[in-house]
Amino acid sequence: MALARRGGIGRYYDVNGWLFVAPALGLIALFMVYPIVWSLWMSFQSGRGMMMKFAGFSNIVRLWNDPVFIKALTNTMTYFVVQVPIMILLALILASLLNNPRLVGRAFFRTAIFLPCVTSLVAYSVLFKGMFAFGGIVNSTLQAIGIIASPIPWQTHPFWAKALVIIAITWRWTGYNMIFYLAALQNIDRSIYEVARIDGVPAWARFTHITIPLLKPVILFTTVISTIGTLQLFDEVYNLTEGKGGPSNATLTLSLYIYNLTFRFMPNFGYAATVSYVIVVLVALLAFLQFFLARERDR
Amino acid sequence: MDIFARAHLPRIAALALASASFLAVTAAEAKEITIWCWDPNFNVAIMKEAGARYTKTHPDVTFNVVDFAKTDVEQKLQTGLASGTADALPDIVLIEDYGAQKYLQSFPGAFAALSGTVDYSGFAPYKVEVMTVDGQIYGMPFDSGVTGLYYRKDYLEQAGFKPEDMQNLTWDRFIEIGSQVEAKTGKKMMGLDPNDGGLVRIIMQSAGQWYFDKEGKPNITGNPALKAAVETMGKIMSANIYKPANGWSDWVGTFTSGDVATVVTGVWITGTVKAQPDQAGKWGVAPIPALSIEGATHASNLGGSSWYVLESSAEKAEAIDFLNEIYGKDIDFYQKILQERGAVGSLLAARGGAAYEAADPFFGGEKVWQNFSDWLVKVPSVNYGVFTNEADLAVTAQLPALTQGMPVDDALKAIESEISGHIQ
Repeated sequence: MALARRGGIGRYYDVNGWLFVAPALGLIALFMVYPIVWSLWMSFQSGRGMMMKFAGFSNIVRLWNDPVFIKALTNTMTYFVVQVPIMILLALILASLLNNPRLVGRAFFRTAIFLPCVTSLVAYSVLFKGMFAFGGIVNSTLQAIGIIASPIPWQTHPFWAKALVIIAITWRWTGYNMIFYLAALQNIDRSIYEVARIDGVPAWARFTHITIPLLKPVILFTTVISTIGTLQLFDEVYNLTEGKGGPSNATLTLSLYIYNLTFRFMPNFGYAATVSYVIVVLVALLAFLQFFLARERDR
Repeated sequence: MDIFARAHLPRIAALALASASFLAVTAAEAKEITIWCWDPNFNVAIMKEAGARYTKTHPDVTFNVVDFAKTDVEQKLQTGLASGTADALPDIVLIEDYGAQKYLQSFPGAFAALSGTVDYSGFAPYKVEVMTVDGQIYGMPFDSGVTGLYYRKDYLEQAGFKPEDMQNLTWDRFIEIGSQVEAKTGKKMMGLDPNDGGLVRIIMQSAGQWYFDKEGKPNITGNPALKAAVETMGKIMSANIYKPANGWSDWVGTFTSGDVATVVTGVWITGTVKAQPDQAGKWGVAPIPALSIEGATHASNLGGSSWYVLESSAEKAEAIDFLNEIYGKDIDFYQKILQERGAVGSLLAARGGAAYEAADPFFGGEKVWQNFSDWLVKVPSVNYGVFTNEADLAVTAQLPALTQGMPVDDALKAIESEISGHIQ
């Protein structure tokens, strides 16, 4: 009798619980699960615009024979391999410098370095485009102080165009990562540093042997977030190159290619969906790899 | 990085749709015809003039001409058509000729066929051809992009060249002149955006070829005109007679600022050239240089666009009647848009009007319009196909390598493999 009543109450609570989460679940199903499943189904179709037909694995075969896709993938990986380490390292160094309580104007520097993060992606890209124009302020300044003899073709040379994108996203996102490290640094017990100082450990060793290991979970977090962000890189390249990923596709990213396949080229939604699943798979693989490398080893 | 701010593409699309349907809601009241186009000094202003003329005789119809950037119009249209919701779309949209077949073939049933209403025999045939699918004709032909060589008489005179010397050039001679102009005046010969395939298309079409043959198959490695066009681009770049530009407005700035001596482009740029009153009397117009291959001419085309009515439009009947009344019949309207905006229409009957005969003081009294309409009938007709955007990017992708000494045939092979990848 008692058992049966408990069962009844259990069901009663279950029903109420499910009723409470049902609206959220319904919305998630409608706006998250359904589009994801549908895009997976789309990636097996191909055709012009609305004239889509089932095409099996032909989109995946097409990936291998598509020089533009290979180029976009190479570019995206280049950004990832070059930019993420530079940015993470820079953010770490800045964070530990700005964590020094004896630094004058600490709040000002923190704000200044974080400020790029609150600017609009489009606005700063357009600004960078103007500053790094052939006759723009960056070239004329560098020339005036004698670092370069002739203007750098920031936007028309494949190498410099890539460099410009890397400079831009580093400027935009370093402060964002720095904030995470600053927050984490507050949680490191100062006595650990004190002990190290008493034992005569030099500053750089305190950084590499105390700060970095203790920040490891946060570093892992920012690395994963940065990886995802870099693989989805779109706004900066779109605005710097008028959506073309030029010169010579040198700045084309996977996201921009998906956009072009859908909105600029003869629309092939199926193939675009396939390319977007490449990003999904890459993010999953890289995140797994990073978790694996940063795992706590049993000693 | 910020996974929240970097919105996923579907979300961008949803935003675009939301803003578009907002516009459409306002359009649904009374008989207002909503029109999307892109150039405030050109087709937007012309459409407003056309609307004002129609409202005079049909007071119940008003017009809402919406001005976007060209790529925004195209991408918004593509998003709206793909979503399948008619609310997001205007009643009339301007589409560049290169993209017409792409939309007509990808979204069958989205555009209204006008074959029964409009008398197409009065229009330039190549314009009608780009809007024909399976024997049905869609759209109202609008402007032509017949090309010319605009040159600064003052700079060329300093370098020792008279207007006679600029007529019927070859591209090799053009580059020679460019080197001398730079040596004597310090000005570059032309502005060039290495990411824009426009000049390659102009040169290629002037010799009667395109990226695709009549059946729509890629026509790259065996295409003498494309080969010569790419070679010419390589020569221009290695002779360094150009001022590099990044993007459209930067390119326009090269000549409005007086930094370059010539502009080779479509006639629709006339309004922009004339927008600099201090340069009045300094400009002349000549036919574009020709290639030295078989079939080469001094006439070509760049851009040009036409109006299309959406099948789903609530004001479809009014929209079609409006286009037919003004763009299909009003000769006086064509004189006005020619004089005020430099629009060379494709209604052949309009060319008999007085405005085409007039001399233009801005160009030192040359009869530029007469010249352009003479060149218009000489433009070789080609099949733009449905993949011009893709081909254009493939070509511009190879240009830097070309200046670093890559053989032209290798560049063409790379272009062909990239284009073939897109045609599925």
